[in-house]
Amino acid sequence: MASIARCLRAARPALPTLARSSVPQPISRLSTIRAFSASTIRPVRKYTKDHEWVDLSADNKTGVIGISEYAAEALGDVVYVELPEKGKAVKAGDAIGAVESVKSAADINAPISCKITDVNFLLEEKPATINQVPEDDSHGGGWIAKVTVDEQGVKDLEALMDVEEYKTFTAGEDAEH
Amino acid sequence: MSPFRHASITLTKPLTRTKPLFSPHLSRPFTSYTSSPSNPLQIYHSTSLNPYLNLSIEHHLLTKSHPDSTLLFLYRNAPSVVIGRNQNPWLETNLSALRAGLPSPSPSSDAGGGGAGEEVNLVRRRSGGGAVFHDAGNANWSVICPSAVFDRDRHAAMVVRALEKLGVRGARVNERHDIVQDVSSSSEGREGNNTFKVSGSAYKLTRLRSLHHGTCLLCSPNLGRISPLLRSPAEAYIKSRGVESVRSPVRNVGVGYEEFVDVVAEEFEEMYGEVPGGSVAVGSNALEIEAVRKGVDELQSPEWIYGQTPQFTFSTVPSDADPRPRPALPSYLPENLELSFTVRHGQIQDAKVSGLRYRESPDGLSQDQAISKAIVGRTLHEIRDWHAALEEASLVSLESDHVGKWLDGLFGVGRN
Repeated sequence: MASIARCLRAARPALPTLARSSVPQPISRLSTIRAFSASTIRPVRKYTKDHEWVDLSADNKTGVIGISEYAAEALGDVVYVELPEKGKAVKAGDAIGAVESVKSAADINAPISCKITDVNFLLEEKPATINQVPEDDSHGGGWIAKVTVDEQGVKDLEALMDVEEYKTFTAGEDAEH
Repeated sequence: MSPFRHASITLTKPLTRTKPLFSPHLSRPFTSYTSSPSNPLQIYHSTSLNPYLNLSIEHHLLTKSHPDSTLLFLYRNAPSVVIGRNQNPWLETNLSALRAGLPSPSPSSDAGGGGAGEEVNLVRRRSGGGAVFHDAGNANWSVICPSAVFDRDRHAAMVVRALEKLGVRGARVNERHDIVQDVSSSSEGREGNNTFKVSGSAYKLTRLRSLHHGTCLLCSPNLGRISPLLRSPAEAYIKSRGVESVRSPVRNVGVGYEEFVDVVAEEFEEMYGEVPGGSVAVGSNALEIEAVRKGVDELQSPEWIYGQTPQFTFSTVPSDADPRPRPALPSYLPENLELSFTVRHGQIQDAKVSGLRYRESPDGLSQDQAISKAIVGRTLHEIRDWHAALEEASLVSLESDHVGKWLDGLFGVGRN
């Protein structure tokens, strides 16, 4: 995701207030999901400044990628998701796919170095899933790709934000505006 | 198509403030100027009418300009239908009509005369949104800026201010981020306003850089001919993923190209500050840049224009996925003809053919199955003659070429 979060809100007249008030909400929903499904085995979800998230498995070998609730909200109605190419190896920041909403083709970037092993075909069929459950990595969720990760990918993770840092970051983006 | 046909055409009157900043003999004509941090504001105008070249120059500016810079790029294209990144050309356009072209704009021919036409280019752009028509009577304006300050309406508003300065009344940015013009219709006997679209908007967002471009109808002589180009004969049979266009009534604002680009450049400078040296002319010399050349090749490739199409199904009968009632088949086709297939990444999948009539087979059913099997895996845009394709897939001859001809018409291939 580019810095879509910012002015895309013009797409929805009420978004400036909406985006601000909705930020804490997805986060709390998120922590509910975490508490329910993940307990302590899984490391926390990390976020990029471009509004992607990544979960790494406990053994640091595999991961799941998606876009954040904040980004999904700001993007407006997603009408098409161009999925990453299976088998492709990418570096952090490389464009791996794109999301179209409100006449915009927005790149989805790899949050960390990784290799794409699986993509969420559901998004091609039901792109609105990404608006509804962008941070859900289960079957039927809005996750974008499953990946394998090497040492570089694990290293890249250090530069990313945890949920609290990301919350502060998006609040700052809103305030600036 | 001969995309380079227009590459040598230049503006009759260059931008008034133009000052060429590079020699065409340099191997990298404007890349170093573009990417330099000492040029935070840049304006370019194209001397080419080639849509593939202009879009590739634009993409080059998006990817190579300094991350903090703000750029304005102005260009116009030879007659083209430009579809959005995630659209379906078989659904959005009439490919045969594009090929048949528009009447040549020669002064001697009568208006609307059906003489040898000027082929309309089919272009898939990299940005989102719907299908639009371009010709030399409309101006493309494009602003590239840091993603951190991107705003969907800011630059459409800039163009509205330019239009106001040019004496165009009633222009505004609407909720779809298009520029529309409210025109009083009291002269036609009724009070009230009619609203026409005069410029669309589309965006490409990358990590650091964002692009907003639009195409403003200035003085196109082809307004009345646009609609048939944007209507597909296969519309009733195709269900596509991706993006469908929203039809809007359009009108010209009645402004000349040169004055439009001059005033838009003025408004740009008013917003961001003076651009030292003024506008830089770019054109076919940009082909000396490898990335631009590659961009042109990619945009012209059938893999991009057709193969990039999101998955879709074609079916002559209603299905679960697409339950719309279908129009009655033409009477010259076999009564119980049924044809359906899915196209993914340009390739035919899951084909089902039945009801074809054969010259000699006693067992039509297995013939149908053989054909269904044989067309799976074929690349749709490479089928230029459906009768030949069906014959090739069939063990025995078909009774007639009617089905093939009909499909040629729907998919805009063959001679029709």
